[in-house]
Amino acid sequence: MKKTMLCSLAMVLAVSAALPGAAAITKGPAAGKTVKIGVIADVTGAAAVYGTMQKNAYDLATEDIKSGIIDAGGANLSFDVEDAASDGAQVVNLMQKFTTDGTTPLELGPTLSGEAFKAFPIAKAANFPVMGTSTTAEGVTAIGPTVFRDSLSESQAIPPTVAKVQAKWHAKTVAIIYGDDNAFTKTDGDLFKREFEKSGATVVDTETFHIGDKDFGASLTKISSKKPDAIAIGGLFPEATQIIEQAGKLGIKAHMLGGNGLNSTQMYQVAGPASQGVVVGAAWFIGGKYTGNLEFVKRFKAKYGNNPDQFAAQAYAAAQVVASLVRGGATTKDEMLSGLRGLRVVQTVLGPIAFDQNRDVRAAPVVLQIVKGGFAYL
Amino acid sequence: MTVLAGFYAQHSRLIDQIGINALLALSLSVSLQAGQLALAQAGLAGIAAYTSAIASMQYHWPLAASILLAVAASTLVAALLAYPVRKLRGIFLAIATVGFGEIVRVIVNNVNITGGAEGLSGIPNDVTTPIIYGALAFVGVALFLMSRTKFALAVALTREDEAAARGVGVDVGMVRFASLALGGAIAGLAGALYAHAFYFLAPADFGFPRMEQILVWCVIGGVTSPIGAVAGAAFLSILPEVIRALADFREVTNGIILLAVILFAPGGFAALWHTRRAPVARDA
Amino acid sequence: MLAQQLVNGLFLGAVYALFAVGYTLVFGVLDILNLAHAAIYMIAAFTAYSLVAHGLPLGVAFAGAVVLAGVIGIVLDRVAFAPLRRRNAGTLVPLISSIGAAIIIGAIARGIYGIDERHFVEGGIDSPPLHLGPVTFTAVEAIIFGTAIALMLILSYVLRSTTLGRSIRAVSQDRIAAALLGVNIERTISATFFIASALGGAAGILTGLEYNAVSVDMAGSIELKGLAVIILGGMGSITGAVIGGFVIGAVETLAVAYGLSAWRDALTFGVMFLILVARPAGIFGARALRNA
Repeated sequence: MKKTMLCSLAMVLAVSAALPGAAAITKGPAAGKTVKIGVIADVTGAAAVYGTMQKNAYDLATEDIKSGIIDAGGANLSFDVEDAASDGAQVVNLMQKFTTDGTTPLELGPTLSGEAFKAFPIAKAANFPVMGTSTTAEGVTAIGPTVFRDSLSESQAIPPTVAKVQAKWHAKTVAIIYGDDNAFTKTDGDLFKREFEKSGATVVDTETFHIGDKDFGASLTKISSKKPDAIAIGGLFPEATQIIEQAGKLGIKAHMLGGNGLNSTQMYQVAGPASQGVVVGAAWFIGGKYTGNLEFVKRFKAKYGNNPDQFAAQAYAAAQVVASLVRGGATTKDEMLSGLRGLRVVQTVLGPIAFDQNRDVRAAPVVLQIVKGGFAYL
Repeated sequence: MTVLAGFYAQHSRLIDQIGINALLALSLSVSLQAGQLALAQAGLAGIAAYTSAIASMQYHWPLAASILLAVAASTLVAALLAYPVRKLRGIFLAIATVGFGEIVRVIVNNVNITGGAEGLSGIPNDVTTPIIYGALAFVGVALFLMSRTKFALAVALTREDEAAARGVGVDVGMVRFASLALGGAIAGLAGALYAHAFYFLAPADFGFPRMEQILVWCVIGGVTSPIGAVAGAAFLSILPEVIRALADFREVTNGIILLAVILFAPGGFAALWHTRRAPVARDA
Repeated sequence: MLAQQLVNGLFLGAVYALFAVGYTLVFGVLDILNLAHAAIYMIAAFTAYSLVAHGLPLGVAFAGAVVLAGVIGIVLDRVAFAPLRRRNAGTLVPLISSIGAAIIIGAIARGIYGIDERHFVEGGIDSPPLHLGPVTFTAVEAIIFGTAIALMLILSYVLRSTTLGRSIRAVSQDRIAAALLGVNIERTISATFFIASALGGAAGILTGLEYNAVSVDMAGSIELKGLAVIILGGMGSITGAVIGGFVIGAVETLAVAYGLSAWRDALTFGVMFLILVARPAGIFGARALRNA
């Protein structure tokens, strides 16, 4: 009698361990409790392209927790995404709401670095844990000891990327084109300049553009006349795709590279053949074999009809981190805070996540290249 | 009492926003009352905000001094702006001042001392709600006292019929200059308070979208009424928070409210503008 | 390189001019600055995209979307401006009304199409570069340029030589006198809005084709630039809007060519500001609509 029970128990355990999706839902200290996590994202407004990806990721995460794909230790964990409409004032009001009304023990987002500078000091004053998933400008985590970030900052991503491409291309001359009205893209421009000069190359031309620009004929014509070996793009994919495509039209043959902002499948969908060979220094690879990543991409595509991008992946990873905290029993803001501080490693769709002493994510960028119809490791 | 304290703790940022927005609305209202569609207030507030922030952060000026400096800066710029645009009327004045605002935004974006696109963070957060509302009350009282003077009559007459005003001896040039400078001063005060209340500035904070917002507050509230301007600012600052439940429909609601007010709200606007064919009056 | 930059500026300017022409037409006739013009520019581009996505050939989609843009212009007038005309509400009020309309049109576009950028052709429009001496451009760019010029020429013809054109010019000159002379004012105004919005819509579609990208924030990039163009050329002057478009296209392109790209917008608005201060009537003056 005992033997058959043991046998069947062993069989059940073996089977459930072998099934990838139906991971055993452990029963943690918070089992049965309801935990709602407040999220601030720009679902509408100027940054809606990015905020919508984030919201979709959080909604998927909530579903995955219910179905057991993400293990939250049996707790009823969900993500409550509030739209800040790309309006700094609303971000601030939402942050104040979350840090004072007691409905959530931790806050995720906002979408933009500028918004983070406005809102995170409120969290600091309230000793409230927050995590940025896309706010990669300098100084965000330095705002306060309760501010964490799971997205690779530009200063973490760009230097290894430049080192890697220089090892391959040995470019002697480089042109830099970057967006000068956005903290993220401007940081990229500055970093590219610094790193290429460090590698011994000369910056022969620097061009700037504004968010929303579509016409780069003038800038590219000028760059073309200087004949650089490589062109570094400090921008986000709407402008980057135009730059790359128009460079192709003008017959520019230089190597091209960019940072996190170019990590989107739109790159080859819009810029077409001109985008072949473009290098992207990113925080996430859509084809990366991290724990659960490929399945995440499949589920996301099935639910929303399009592939997730880096914004979605970083948001989903944050959800996974929070789930692991809840699994460990954290349900209040102080427990969340000590959970984050004591975090060892969490396996996410971005790969293994841990935080360094500045509360930034401890990781290296993946250097990718656009090949026929997709990304591949460089 | 604790209910009030709790409410304040949850909504203090919004309450501060309303106060500063009310000041911005008043700065535009002052120009509109003189019949001038001068849309430079957002840019002027931006100049003051950055001036005050830089004075506090780089040069460690105390709060009151940095605010005064900021107000002086914005008033000065407004006065300088008043000269080249003195002959412009109506839409032309509006467009010229919008152009001014854009030029200011580009300068702020490109210059190092303002932090450029990365913005200026870490401004000392020493402006509290009582200070904001104290300033608002001060400006309100000052405007009220001014409305009792003969100058206010000159302003109203200039708005209603400039030729008639000139006819009875009103120095129209002076009226226009004074209203622009006064608007600049109030906008400056709002900007300086904004910098210290929200401790982070970006060039985009004071661009055309912000100016459009201020204009909408004044229009909804009542163009020639300062109290209306304050009411409009308050109403539209609270609205996004109140209709949060409408989710995706919040934006279209804004547009519908604006159109509804324009189409169905009674008078006040009709008196403001003449339908003149050539708004560019070339007066000596 | 200069020759290429001039060609860049020419192509850029042509579309600016086409956009500005509609803007200035409405101002010339009605003294209204229609800030919803940019929203119509944007939604026409989306309409053309939808029609192409449903399998219609490009020419048909273009024509259809242009006509729809014109119709939206008429509706806009009926809803947002005509009631104010009856009230004799002046010039500030219609401006605000147009802002409200722009917000609503933008929200509708966002509701239908979402916030993603849409592309006429996935993977890029296949248009091999053509070389003319030191200058390179694609066939698509040339067609867009040609279309813009053609539309502006058609407008000029309509205004100069048709009865409708004469009515429009009469109404812009003196509405009361025109009414006394038997011109149907409301019908003429509707026609004006149709033409202006159709041209603005055409500009939007051509822009969408040029960059193979249509998105809701298209409107924001062009609305202020359009102002600079019409001020430069003279409010109410079609010829002025055309010349203004090319000048601003050139200013922007040359600013980049000479290393001032960060100051591009400041230059454009600086030029605009100077014109307003020195010669508010612009190059061709406010009377120019009479002479089209």
